[in-house]
Amino acid sequence: MTDIKTVWQNQPMEENSMITLSDIRARAARFQSRIRWRNMALYLYSLANIAITLWLISRGVSPRYTAPGLLIGAAHLFVIWQLWWRTSARALPDDLVARAALDYHRQELERQHNAMSGAWLWYILPFMPGLIWELWLRASLHPANVPPVVDRALVLFLILSALFFWTSVWLAFSWAAARLEIRIERLNVLKAE
Amino acid sequence: MDATRQDDLYLRASAEYGPALVRLARAYEADPSQRLDLLQDIHFALWRSFSGFAEQCSMRTWIYRVAHNVGISRRVRRRRPRLTSLEELSEIPADGSPEDDVHSARALARLHALIGALKPPDGQVMMLYLEDMDASAIGDITGLSPRAVATRIHRIKALLARNFRQGEPA
Repeated sequence: MTDIKTVWQNQPMEENSMITLSDIRARAARFQSRIRWRNMALYLYSLANIAITLWLISRGVSPRYTAPGLLIGAAHLFVIWQLWWRTSARALPDDLVARAALDYHRQELERQHNAMSGAWLWYILPFMPGLIWELWLRASLHPANVPPVVDRALVLFLILSALFFWTSVWLAFSWAAARLEIRIERLNVLKAE
Repeated sequence: MDATRQDDLYLRASAEYGPALVRLARAYEADPSQRLDLLQDIHFALWRSFSGFAEQCSMRTWIYRVAHNVGISRRVRRRRPRLTSLEELSEIPADGSPEDDVHSARALARLHALIGALKPPDGQVMMLYLEDMDASAIGDITGLSPRAVATRIHRIKALLARNFRQGEPA
């Protein structure tokens, strides 16, 4: 009778399972490039928003909206900085992955949890001053060629849409944070055993 | 740390623990193409990690920690079906004739299925037990207390005995 440990340790190996240093270097290059592209996409989204706002301001399309537009542009810059700070400056050190499994996963989950639970502060709140200002300006505009009932309905629609969008964003972050908290708690129970 | 030492450490680890890493990747990933990808991820993480290796623990502990952390991270990202604990899995009866397949690929397949169905710390403990590690080494790698490891090993032995009838003639 062969021991099950022997069966496990003597399992046949695939021929293609050897990894060379050049494979590793190629993977390192792909890894760096993937991170660069992901960050680039996030930056481009915000920069496109800023560019459109600045273009509208420079064309004098709606002079009343210049200040709130600039505030929203500033919010995008703040979010870009936050993304850069969270993904670059606070990247995990290379040796963290060699921590004991429970500690590593707790740290990973806590890092994600902190980012999610604090998202209202760094991702949602920065847009609020500009957005509220814009909505208030629109609400007090009362265009002469639009009947008052239609105008009020339009303003209400804009407010509800903004409310719906940002509440959904907040709920998505909160839901993710709550799920992470449950997983952290499970790890705490395991650690306390 | 200079790049040459990092490369040297990696090459040493890869030569000595390469087969163990293949077994580990198999246990975490059933799909052969995904398995090779996971194995490359593990080797890459290992190579990266050696830039911060300053003998904080034994090389073997370091290697297994990195490999398991990469394996579990991928499993979490892929949202596998519901995982179960050792206590629940003990209730699952073995199919077929265990005596006949202990030497066969079916025995390995069943081992992989058992490991694949377990929640992370239990699956890790089982893999490390099968690699013939003692409770103290398993504790160092997983972060579980010696008592928690001992309890799990006891359950794993019972589970394996029930599924493979170790000790009986083949």
